[in-house]
Amino acid sequence: MATHSPQEKNVRDHLVVKTVRNIRKHGGREEDADKGMYRPDIRLDLERSILLTESYKATEGEPMVLRRAKALDHILSNMTLYIQDWEKIVGNNVATPQGLFFGIDMNWRSVRRIVDQDEAKTLLDDEGRKKLDELIEYWKGKSMSDIQQKMFTGPVLECWQIPKGGAGTWSHWSELGVPDYEKAFTLGFSGLIKQCRARLDEIDQTVPFDYVDQKEFLQAVIISLEAVIKFARRFAALAREKAFQTHDPADRARLEAVAKVCDRAPEHPPETLHEALQSFFFIHVVRYIEFSTLGIGVRFDKVFGPYYQKDLEAGRITREEALELLQLLWLKFHELGLIYSPTLSAIYGGVAALQAICIGGVDETGKDVTNEMTYLVLDCAEKMRSPEPTIALRYHDGTPRELISRAVDVIRTGVGYPAFFNDKAILPLLDRWEVPLHDARDYSISGCVYLELPGKNISHRAYGGFILPAALLCALSQGRDAAGNLVGAPTPDPMGFSGIEDLMDAYEEQVRYMFQRLCTIENTCQTLYERHLPRPFYSALLEGCIEKGMETKKWGYPSPVANICIVLGPVNVSDAMAAIQKNVFEEKTVSMEDLLAALASNWEGYEHVRRLMINAPKFGNDDDYADRLAVEVQHRSAAAMEKAKNRFGVSCRGDGSGISATYAAGAFLPATPDGRMAGEPLSDATLSPVFGMDKKGPTAVLKSASKISTRETFNHLLNQKFLPQALSGDMKEVFIDYIRSWGDLGVSQIQFNVVDPQTLLDAQENPEEHPDLLVRVAGYSAYFVDLSKGLQDSIIARTEQNF
Amino acid sequence: MRRTGTIFNVQRFCTHDGPGIRTTVFFKGCPLRCKWCSNPESQKMAPQLMVRPSKCTGCGACAAACPEGAVVLLPNRPAQTRWEDCTHCFSCVDACLYGAREAAGREASVDELMEEILADRVFYENSGGGVTLSGGEPLLQPQFAAELLARCKEESLHTALETCGHAPREAAVQLARSLDLVLFDVKQLNPLKHRKYTGMDNNRILRNLEFFSQNTETWLRIPLVAEVNDSEDHMDALANLAIRLGVQKISLLPYHEGGASKADQIGLEYPIPGACKPPDNHIKRLTRIASDLGIEVTVGH
Repeated sequence: MATHSPQEKNVRDHLVVKTVRNIRKHGGREEDADKGMYRPDIRLDLERSILLTESYKATEGEPMVLRRAKALDHILSNMTLYIQDWEKIVGNNVATPQGLFFGIDMNWRSVRRIVDQDEAKTLLDDEGRKKLDELIEYWKGKSMSDIQQKMFTGPVLECWQIPKGGAGTWSHWSELGVPDYEKAFTLGFSGLIKQCRARLDEIDQTVPFDYVDQKEFLQAVIISLEAVIKFARRFAALAREKAFQTHDPADRARLEAVAKVCDRAPEHPPETLHEALQSFFFIHVVRYIEFSTLGIGVRFDKVFGPYYQKDLEAGRITREEALELLQLLWLKFHELGLIYSPTLSAIYGGVAALQAICIGGVDETGKDVTNEMTYLVLDCAEKMRSPEPTIALRYHDGTPRELISRAVDVIRTGVGYPAFFNDKAILPLLDRWEVPLHDARDYSISGCVYLELPGKNISHRAYGGFILPAALLCALSQGRDAAGNLVGAPTPDPMGFSGIEDLMDAYEEQVRYMFQRLCTIENTCQTLYERHLPRPFYSALLEGCIEKGMETKKWGYPSPVANICIVLGPVNVSDAMAAIQKNVFEEKTVSMEDLLAALASNWEGYEHVRRLMINAPKFGNDDDYADRLAVEVQHRSAAAMEKAKNRFGVSCRGDGSGISATYAAGAFLPATPDGRMAGEPLSDATLSPVFGMDKKGPTAVLKSASKISTRETFNHLLNQKFLPQALSGDMKEVFIDYIRSWGDLGVSQIQFNVVDPQTLLDAQENPEEHPDLLVRVAGYSAYFVDLSKGLQDSIIARTEQNF
Repeated sequence: MRRTGTIFNVQRFCTHDGPGIRTTVFFKGCPLRCKWCSNPESQKMAPQLMVRPSKCTGCGACAAACPEGAVVLLPNRPAQTRWEDCTHCFSCVDACLYGAREAAGREASVDELMEEILADRVFYENSGGGVTLSGGEPLLQPQFAAELLARCKEESLHTALETCGHAPREAAVQLARSLDLVLFDVKQLNPLKHRKYTGMDNNRILRNLEFFSQNTETWLRIPLVAEVNDSEDHMDALANLAIRLGVQKISLLPYHEGGASKADQIGLEYPIPGACKPPDNHIKRLTRIASDLGIEVTVGH
């Protein structure tokens, strides 16, 4: 364990933890509810809701895009600002450092419900609950969730919830996406406003068919951008006031520096690293205020490296000072937690705001971007050891070995990041999705493994979880659930299947059918977002919106990269296929009838059948028997999903960001033919072998994973667990070589849990002694103590790879 | 090539049997009977039954399948094996669904082994790794081992042999052609003690060590058992032997108890139940003896 100087410890002491605890399994079953969803000092912040409501009341009848801009202006002009006694980068989206963001305009029902219950009672006092009720009076029928529920009926509505939705679950939830920071820095907000005015002048002349829409949108953009400039000025004023009040010269210097930086950011192009970071953070925070938002996605070294270099060359900054700025920024990231519904807490166990930044990789011309900032980010991460932001490291043939080595140092601390993303897999995928090479080379990662194209008009979110094993079960039941209701497509009777191909066809049809239904909801929802929740501020930071005079939701970057639904359990499906192929069709040791009866009874009385299914070849052992079926399942599932189209005619797709939904979805899913019992978690990522089924070691896992073509499917996630000693001493170089081999094999992602299993078991027994123990859950890291026992168990159960 | 041999395991991602990431092929059959043997299932040449009672559910499938009546069922206990009646026909292995009964050892062809070995080529290339033949004793199956190594060299793989050295010189000569590295086990320099603990004289072993060290890069591997071969004098003699032979690296492998539980699983009584690993500070002292002479010493694995 690394030792830390008292000063470093002080920085970490300011970490405010807003991560949500995973206290429930999906479907609302309570589990560890007495733990509480949040830490006891965390409060639900109502200020944004109050100001938003005031503004909405004052602007009724006006065009929505202007109402949203005016609401943003009202919030930014009146919300409480704070600058804590250590801050150098400022900005807040809630009134106190302990506040939780709450998007009342999105959804209030689950929040209203939980603040009365044990799990979230501490979030509000009685007065707060009264205030909340007042606000809700206004939002009844107006929040997005109310509007959506009115829209959806019949079987489509059922997709909203597992298990009624068959294989899919849809949720309305915060969006990700990456603003064009480079453009915002080059022009400054003043430049963006100028651009809007020029466009306004232009359409005044040409009067296009959507003239009024364009005009209102551009006016809304100007209001929003000016609001943010005012917001920054308010911080400058607050800093000056505090500087005036303080008697400590060092503190005064700090506050005066903050004031000076806020005089310029984000209005003018930044001239120093400090200004660039401040401009960035204002944009980041306001994005979170405008609309319920997650993620970061900035290519941190690419964007900030040049400012750091310039400061170094001018002698304006030392490495230590720059590192301190980053650490203080990391603290600010932690203030961006938001309220989750219990259902989402099961899916996003341990998350605050799913913030990830990206380092490494190539620039638009193909040149490696690694610079001094890349290493500074890793130094900062190692010192902070905080759940967010996680770090995505883009890997390509030109990634310096020194960078991998430094990354391995950070991984060895057990924080679970950086995760590696492979250009060799992802660039061909983006090519298939018709992203021009220039744009593709600038891809980034914002949350779990969400692929982003910074600055492009992409405002996606994981709008659903698609549970592939449920589609398989439907293929074995002619589309019916246990109660006999038709929840899927009416595929043929499995008793008539003559080989695995018949099952595969039925499965593919179920995937296509159910995913189409899920997309129907999503597409409808998108039109509702467009109408009711336009985002003039975010639009201003995306390439094309000002130019076209069109808000982000009115058009879209023309590529499937923008449409994601998380995919759960493909490996359980392919292991099931292999087991059925072997036992039912080839060796005929199990009849289809017995298999179906065994599944229906959760293997009760069919232990013999279950063992045969478990003993069949499994994915993750570099065994072609199982891997060939895995390839077929993954490729055909992805192709079936892509048949569904979004509103602009672009294919929808899967995404490997499993989050903790593999656990949540498994909780309600009946027994599956791979030998899994009802309620057990699914394999923890789209490329991860089922727990304990990979018996040939970590090279065989990568070989199996490499057979799944990223290009033919989507971006994946692969968890590997190692003991700390596997990355230490002589073994470190071997570990680096293992990662380079992963790169050569073209697997799209890999991430590592490096922890002694004994530590995990001990933390489960004595959580109070391990408050800081981070583990990698899916595409994010979380405090182990925030996870429910079942989710903890599933992380302990991940197969450990020994050297 | 259709030649086959008897092996008991192919382990991928080995990082302690030579440089880099390696695949180790464990040969079955060994001329020695070291009392501390960590892989007692490797000693006999013929495949044999291995039983893991911890996995047994007492379902009785093995007893029903056994043609000799060598499996006995007792209530609420794992199935018992009457080893003296077992013919190693493996009927019970086929019947067991829980992995409680396995065959240690199988016939494998050079071709199928090559396929498994080449699966990890990318890892060898990135890490400077390759293939290690271990055991058991590969030199007991010299034709098979030589062919396997030759095929590896055709594929430009780095090759290593882990050997106890007890074999005819011809076997050593035959393999040396295709070897990049030899990991040579020396258990005891005193011939009498050697015979006492391994069942064999060490004369031939030391001559083969001499041969390999003159022809191939050779490292020494010393299984360290307290009171058996862990004296400072013995270490000093080993280190001096290494210097004389130009050996630059010694790996000290402290005794561990893995062998005792495996002996139980194949119905063997473990010969030295009281064996233990030397204390850590003593291992440090031994390490220093060799490293002071300029030899690289590693401990473990």
